[in-house]
Amino acid sequence: MYAFDIERPTTVAEAVNALKTDEAQPLGGGQTLIPTLKARLAAPSKLVSLSAIAEMIGISREGSTIRIGGATTHGQVATELAESYPALGYLASKIGDPAVRNRGTIGGSVANNDPAACYPAACLASGATITTNTRDIAADDFFLGMFETALEEDEIVTAVTFPVPQKADYQKFEQPASRFPLVGVFVAKHDDGVRVAVTGASESGVFRWTEAEEALSADFSAGALDGLSVDADGMITDLHGDGAYRAHLIKVLTGRAVTASR
Amino acid sequence: MKDHFTMDEPQPRVLDETKQGVIGTPMDRPDGARKVSGTAGYAADHKVEGMAHGVLVRATISRGRVTDIGRASVMDLDGVIEVVTDPRMTRNPAQGMAGEAPVQPGDDVHYHGQPIAVVVAETFEAARDAAQRLVVTYRKEDAASDPDATPDTEVGDPETAGDFDAAWAKADVRLDRTYTTPSQVSAAMEPHAAIAEWTDGRVELRSSLQMVRFNKAELADTLGIDADRVRILSPFVGGGFGSKLGLGPEAVAAAIASEKLGRPVRVVMSRQNVFDAVLRRSETRQRVRLGASKDGQLLALSHDDRVSNLDGEGFAEPVSQASQFLYRADGLSFTQTVARIAATPAGSVRAPGEAVGMVALEAAMDELADELGVDPVELRLNNLPDTHPMDGRAFSTRRLADCLQDGAARFGWADRWTRGTRREGDWLIGMGVASAARSNMLVKSAARVRLQGDRAVVETDMTDIGTGTYAILSQIAGEMLGLSPDRVDVRLGDSDLPGASGSGGSFGASSAGSATFLAAKRIRRDIARKLGCPEDALTLQNGRARGDNREADLSELIDQELVGEAEIEAGKTDESHFSAGFGAHFAEVAVNEWTGEVRVRRMLAVMSMGRILNEKTARSQALGGMIWGIGTALTEEVQSDARDGHVVTRDLANYHVPSHADVPGDMQVVFLEERDDWANPIQTKGIGELGISGAGAAVINAISHATGHRTYDCPALPDRVISSLAP
Ligand SMILES: Cc1cc2nc3c(=O)[nH]c(=O)nc-3n(C[C@H](O)[C@H](O)[C@H](O)COP(=O)(O)OP(=O)(O)OC[C@H]3O[C@@H](n4cnc5c(N)ncnc54)[C@H](O)[C@@H]3O)c2cc1C
Repeated sequence: MYAFDIERPTTVAEAVNALKTDEAQPLGGGQTLIPTLKARLAAPSKLVSLSAIAEMIGISREGSTIRIGGATTHGQVATELAESYPALGYLASKIGDPAVRNRGTIGGSVANNDPAACYPAACLASGATITTNTRDIAADDFFLGMFETALEEDEIVTAVTFPVPQKADYQKFEQPASRFPLVGVFVAKHDDGVRVAVTGASESGVFRWTEAEEALSADFSAGALDGLSVDADGMITDLHGDGAYRAHLIKVLTGRAVTASR
Repeated sequence: MKDHFTMDEPQPRVLDETKQGVIGTPMDRPDGARKVSGTAGYAADHKVEGMAHGVLVRATISRGRVTDIGRASVMDLDGVIEVVTDPRMTRNPAQGMAGEAPVQPGDDVHYHGQPIAVVVAETFEAARDAAQRLVVTYRKEDAASDPDATPDTEVGDPETAGDFDAAWAKADVRLDRTYTTPSQVSAAMEPHAAIAEWTDGRVELRSSLQMVRFNKAELADTLGIDADRVRILSPFVGGGFGSKLGLGPEAVAAAIASEKLGRPVRVVMSRQNVFDAVLRRSETRQRVRLGASKDGQLLALSHDDRVSNLDGEGFAEPVSQASQFLYRADGLSFTQTVARIAATPAGSVRAPGEAVGMVALEAAMDELADELGVDPVELRLNNLPDTHPMDGRAFSTRRLADCLQDGAARFGWADRWTRGTRREGDWLIGMGVASAARSNMLVKSAARVRLQGDRAVVETDMTDIGTGTYAILSQIAGEMLGLSPDRVDVRLGDSDLPGASGSGGSFGASSAGSATFLAAKRIRRDIARKLGCPEDALTLQNGRARGDNREADLSELIDQELVGEAEIEAGKTDESHFSAGFGAHFAEVAVNEWTGEVRVRRMLAVMSMGRILNEKTARSQALGGMIWGIGTALTEEVQSDARDGHVVTRDLANYHVPSHADVPGDMQVVFLEERDDWANPIQTKGIGELGISGAGAAVINAISHATGHRTYDCPALPDRVISSLAP
């Protein structure tokens, strides 16, 4: 790790200001960033911790939507959403291990947009809105590719707002060592149709499986997927499984998610 | 005076006559409490006055030359003392039992990850920082790192018996299959570590090593000094599995840096270093051909393999070792090819040969059974040879048939269903079997026993690598001298003590145990003389000597220390008789039809491995081996960048050894009674490696039984299982 300075502002405005310095970077829970620094893959001169900004922490219900502050930990989401949005609470409860969940934040997760991260799938399938210090961005416009988002330089994710679907479920096929999903599928049934978002599988990051969405919007049952298949082209091949396997798992997990939806 | 004993004829079963009754008992390891309380001093645990810290620097090219190590780039960092390079530095650990310096490459780089320097600093952190910052300049050369791509291959002469081609032509059923296994690593829990200190031209090395007698010679040869100026201490070793057989580059680096800087130096490998620069098990590509008559007699058996290693390494994974003596056939043929590649060199990893060779042979036997419509247990039973198929030697003892039959009965094999027909929800269920075999050896070994009243001390440079040497040597000496083992002190892992075999090849307990037995036996002679009875009339029990109506407490009879020292080596029995441990593995698995996940539900091994010295440590060895079998079958795989041989699975998250969750609760081990009179005077056989030999095959065969399809590439990862199911 290289040496760096750290600041811990208490308001979003202060944080945005602090980030104006050259090579300053926001620090969420540090569960991705700190290992990156340790491996010397990044060398920011200053970290701006978001963990003391009260307006970015916590969960509130606003009508049929749930607003989660950008610096809220996975652990808090897991406990507080168990009843109000069980699929999302469950997703948070399966991220990493307790240490990761007690530090890692939703803002960090969506900003990082790891191709195997769980939250991006929930955002896409729920039709969430990502709020930053400057604007609101629909999930469909936010995740642009592997580790790529619509965020501008020094833009901070201050909140993510989720419409609560009628029914939803998240199925995660865990890589046993890291517990990241080899493939994760989030299925959400909304008043106006079904959304299916897939993480862990594609070389271009999280994506919506539109054929399945159409089939499930017409008939919300695992059987509706029978004739469908996912093309292995563009799927990730790595140490843990090849692209054909990931394509196969997408269908298996989508079916399971439909059956388990509540 | 040292007794010298050569194993020239079968030996009487003395340990069945002695009266203390501690041999075979499941005694706890006497070192256990120190280990779990953190007070057993492993190599890197020691703090020596004035000690500096060294961190190895690894090469980041696969072949070429260091033109500038970049010393200037780090010398003004806080705490940095020196960047040490030296023509005596070694590129990799010595091969097991080498007894001489490994290759000393000077400025040449032969593989990605090779240690090329050691940065020494006042603190570990400073040394690591500098090692990472060092800007090294290379002259790069092209080299192939992929065994499939290298033009440099050495094809050995076939080893044959009978006429394979003729037998193959005659066969009614022919099976010709190719299997692969990936590179594997030992992944011992304790990373390789060393502390070296020079005093008056003598070097003392604390290091985590399996074979102190050989390691001493290796260090002397590496440094170019006489062996009597070297002392090695290795009393506790946190697992080795072959990876610590030979002196490692971290030990050489510590010794050289310490000599140059005039102060003690400690070098500990990071886990990543261990993956890069410690000998791996070669990947294998194996072609097995089995030809049989319609009624299930094997006629032709061939097992050819391709392994890899770095140029200059004499070791080649002996893949077909067990295939050469397990089954009979009219014609047998074995050809090995070694691909020379620029990649982390290969060496012995637990059960070299059998661990991966039996996965292919025993899978092929299973397939043959299917083709013939014969039960796989039956097929094996029907094809056991009368004598060693390659050289005609008699088997010393071989209870393979009993193991297969006893195991089949215990496992419920008779209830086995048709392949691919049992399902529980999404899970397909299957049972598999495999033979186990591992050749047994006796290696020259010496030990000294001292008797002081009713307390004894055993002294040998033998090591305990977590296996239970402290326990069994105290049991053997206690049994022979009529003492409870807690009255026997065992001193190990010091090169100033009598030289033993070391821990390797499963021969440690038999070899060092026999030397201890003989040294104690010599003391019995002296006790008998003191008591005034013939040696064969002497009974020793609970500290009391009896014989010819005389009796005395040892505490009174032995008024001055009695010392016995003995050395044993292999002899004529080895030429007339072939000794090996045998067993049978059974596994039941569940395979998820949709995801390809495999869960092992239960395993059983029935083993005949000679006299069991300690039922608990023996069982642990067998269980550990079986778990390695699960790793081979399901999870373990080193992956490298095919362009430069750079190991990419450099930690235990990416190289997955089975965790508790991967191992079923129902793991049974049964030992059949056996005494191998031809093997050694304590009638034992090797135990440490039989558990892995064949275990992976039982799991692979169970998968095939569950799904009705076969996987040919280990490990059977979920994606491979799913693709095997594809129509
Ligand atoms: C062992 C382990 C297992 C894991 N398993 C999973 C898993 O199963 N599923 C999963 O989804 N994730 C998993 N993770 C990742 C975890 O969820 C991380 O917490 C998350 O990816 C990053 O969140 P963070 O708050 O820790 O961000 P940090 O590590 O602090 O930051 C990550 C990046 O985002 C930026 N950033 C942080 N916060 C903000 C913000 N509010 N606005 C803008 N930019 C920001 C940082 O500058 C940095 O570039 C795992 C991590 C570990 C270590």
